Amino acid sequence: MTDDHLFDLKGVSKRFIKGKEAISIFDGLDMTIKKGDFLAIMGPSGSGKTTLLNMLGGVDQPTGGEVWFDGKRIDKLSEGQMANWRAGNIGFIFQFYNLMPMLNAARNVELPLLLTNLSAAQRKKSVTAALELVGLADRASHLPKEMSGGQMQRVAIARAIVSDPKLLLCDEPTGDLDRNTADEILEMLQLLNKEFGKTIVMVTHDPSAAKYATHTLHLDKGQFVEKDLVA
Amino acid sequence: MTDFYIVWKNLTRKPLRLFLTLFATFIAFTIYGTITAFQVAWDSGVNLAADDRLVTVNKINFTQPLPVSYVNKVRAVKGVAAVTQMNWFGGYFQDPRKQLVMMAVDAPSFLEVYDQVVLTPKEQEAWIQDRQGLIAGEAVARTYGWKVGDHIPVNSNIFSQKDGRTAWDFTIDGIFKGKTPQTDTNSVYFHYKYFNETKSFGKDYIGFLGIRTTDPKLNEQVIKTVDDMFANTPFETQTVPEKVFNKGFIEQIGNIRLILTSVVGAAFFIILVIVGNSMVLAIRERTGEIAVMKTLGFQSGRLFRMILSESMMLALLGGGLGLSAATGLTWLITSKMPQMPPLLMTHSIVLQSLGFMLAMGLLTGIIPAVNALRLNIITAFSRQ
Amino acid sequence: MKLLSQIWVVIVMNIRSLPQRLWMSLAAILAVTVVVAVLLSFLSMANGFAKTLEGTGSNDIAIVTRGGSQSELNSVLSRHAVNAVSVAPGVAKTADGQPYYSAELYVVVNAIKKSSGTKVNIPLRGIDPIGFTLRDHVKITAGRMFQPGKNEIIVGQKVLGQFSGFELGKEVKFGKSRWTVVGIFSTGGTAFESELWADARTVQSQFRRGDSYQTMRIKLTTPGDLSGIEKAIKADPTLNLDVKTEAQYFAEQGQALKNIVRVGWAISIVMSLGALAGALNTMFTSVASRSKEIATLRAIGFSNVSAFFGTLAESVVLSVLGGLVGALMSYLFMDGMTTSTLGASFTQVIFTFELSPALFEKGIILALLIGVIGGFFPAWRAARLPVVVAFRNAS
Repeated sequence: MTDDHLFDLKGVSKRFIKGKEAISIFDGLDMTIKKGDFLAIMGPSGSGKTTLLNMLGGVDQPTGGEVWFDGKRIDKLSEGQMANWRAGNIGFIFQFYNLMPMLNAARNVELPLLLTNLSAAQRKKSVTAALELVGLADRASHLPKEMSGGQMQRVAIARAIVSDPKLLLCDEPTGDLDRNTADEILEMLQLLNKEFGKTIVMVTHDPSAAKYATHTLHLDKGQFVEKDLVA
Repeated sequence: MTDFYIVWKNLTRKPLRLFLTLFATFIAFTIYGTITAFQVAWDSGVNLAADDRLVTVNKINFTQPLPVSYVNKVRAVKGVAAVTQMNWFGGYFQDPRKQLVMMAVDAPSFLEVYDQVVLTPKEQEAWIQDRQGLIAGEAVARTYGWKVGDHIPVNSNIFSQKDGRTAWDFTIDGIFKGKTPQTDTNSVYFHYKYFNETKSFGKDYIGFLGIRTTDPKLNEQVIKTVDDMFANTPFETQTVPEKVFNKGFIEQIGNIRLILTSVVGAAFFIILVIVGNSMVLAIRERTGEIAVMKTLGFQSGRLFRMILSESMMLALLGGGLGLSAATGLTWLITSKMPQMPPLLMTHSIVLQSLGFMLAMGLLTGIIPAVNALRLNIITAFSRQ
Repeated sequence: MKLLSQIWVVIVMNIRSLPQRLWMSLAAILAVTVVVAVLLSFLSMANGFAKTLEGTGSNDIAIVTRGGSQSELNSVLSRHAVNAVSVAPGVAKTADGQPYYSAELYVVVNAIKKSSGTKVNIPLRGIDPIGFTLRDHVKITAGRMFQPGKNEIIVGQKVLGQFSGFELGKEVKFGKSRWTVVGIFSTGGTAFESELWADARTVQSQFRRGDSYQTMRIKLTTPGDLSGIEKAIKADPTLNLDVKTEAQYFAEQGQALKNIVRVGWAISIVMSLGALAGALNTMFTSVASRSKEIATLRAIGFSNVSAFFGTLAESVVLSVLGGLVGALMSYLFMDGMTTSTLGASFTQVIFTFELSPALFEKGIILALLIGVIGGFFPAWRAARLPVVVAFRNAS
């Protein structure tokens, strides 16, 4: 394990009990994500993409094995510690944006900052910067229902980066968008990766989305099928 | 932005639903405030009764008479500071269906025993001097528009004068106030002497005695002495503390307290069910949002508190409005219907209501809050 | 498709989706239940009270009291007045040719109410032995009649249930005087059963009433015709008396609880507003959760009238269901409950809660009203739902 590793998964397994049957999704999965990677994970439905993303994001925990993040083991943390870890290290971007419908753009972006000790003035500064970065400074006071899908996803991106996390996790970020808008969003992610050094993990089933990534992994039945991309 | 802002936005995001649940809460607390004020007024005869006052009535029943000679006999009893006689007059002013609470009394000793009747020294002087004078409580005076100096005829549906007339002529010498705002001033007093000398039957009999003891600790002893003194006479007595007498009197009507409590209970029950349900529903609709906030790193406890705050705010807002309406309503009733005992929104009612609001907020919010606490992010998302 | 069958389809669809909104719907039902139960409890109380008193008075009996006295308790009649009225025209005669009347006393005595253990006022009525026959349906159900001149009382049947210490054979003390319970009488459930009866002359002597009475009950030759007695009273300047038929007298006393009816309505209407809020909430939620189905039906050609009435029907059915449960509850728990309260004569009147069909109807109408108003606005929204909703994505 070296300093440039952000994530190390060692022998990770994940099993569900569904009815009487035990379903195994992963069995002894190893994986490394380096700092500065823009990793696309592809695969058919049921391949375990989302479960993997959830484990990386700390909303789900493996049944066995170890998950190391930036030199610290995180798979045994309590729910509360996990929440703090997520707040400090991860930005999430969802397929359906998941903005709070009753809050305007600026307040949606500000939401993760409520988990920090920043003053109101500092928060305002960060929010403005994040909205400017995604090109929506003029939409700050709009409610989600007053925006297009692309705009909502850009607000979601601003929300994901506002507290300056190391890692962005994107779950089908363009799944609900048309081609042009999707490209805009992906270019923005690429920019965040290249210019701002964010590590990005993106689950997608869209091959043209994967092109924006620096690496692509293909998952099938809990296994990476193109080993050449695994370190 | 603060958590409070998010709670507020959540509360107000569906204005129609907010209005309906607020309205239901408002109704519950309007009923609660008004009925409780009524109950307090109803009980005030018991709660405001002085500890050092006793009432002596005929043992058969308090409607049976006692000889007037008992007054002086009781006055001599050790521990009796003052004693006065009272006689129910059955009076009415113009409308025989509207009874006055009107008593024939011995003015000087009456004022000594019943200090909740507050007159100016001038009024007091005038009344004691005037054989045909009466004093009326503020509430009665307001009902009939009486002023000091008015000459009024009052009829009795029990007594008549020796010459056959059923109307007595009076001069209003004073309009008394109550010692406290709760004191019921819905009564009228006039001189026993005038009554005794003019009535056609029942001369030298009185209704009951009011006694003030020198010390409440002596009550037991005075009660025993008085009742023993008249045992085995044709007019046996029963002496009880004023509190007991008043309580017994209102209990004759039936278990009003039970009726009122049931109504308030029913109102609260309805509202609890309605508000509780819409809270559960509102939070269930927000399952996805709660899961997102958890994903962003919000602690479960914080979300739990936010939801409870929401239901608390709802209860406090609706309850506060309801209590204000009840205050207005009681004020309206008291000013427009002087024949009712004064309804007051006391501190204890307000405090109790606040307690009920918090309890309601807790009860209606606890289920959705626990649901949010337990919400599993992954199952929440897969349900979406 | 015919409108009715369209409406029916919407109703069926609503009912099918009810389980999804089970708790919500139960809450709405429960709210109406409580409102109707509260209303009917108040009304059946007032109704029972009024029925007891109204059933007491007879139209062929006149009751004479001192002028302006309002109630038997406040009245005083001298022997002279009794004699003067007894010979008035219109007074019936007994078999042996005597005037058919009973001069009576009405003395308030203490009793202990069983339910609360508190001391309350009950009437001890002194009657002429002939007065016994002046009450309808009167009979001794146990023991015997009192004997004139003796300290004996007979006790109304309802007194036994409500107050302690009046069982047959018991000795009762009123002040210094002691009385023995020698009989139990019934008058078919009227207010007289809340009374104790004794010989009038014995009561006069034991309660130091001299030869005065309080009221007179007179058998009329013609039911309801008081004119003869009224004329006789007017003709004699020494008499200042009121005369009414007994039916009139008790009907007036039966109005004493009319304020309870007002309070009952006031509280129920205010509570209905709360229940209405619940019904509206439920129905708006119902419409919102089915907006896609409604819009789909509209897209395939259903009229908006069917959406309107289908929704309204759901609300009305829920409310009426709640009303029925509420009425049933007050029937089970309240109807037939016996209690007593202070009547106009300052004594306890024992009465039984009575939930009549007319009251039941009022309860259901209130429930129906809540259902219609609570369903109208949501139904309006359902009817105006844009058809395009059907083609939107789930969200």
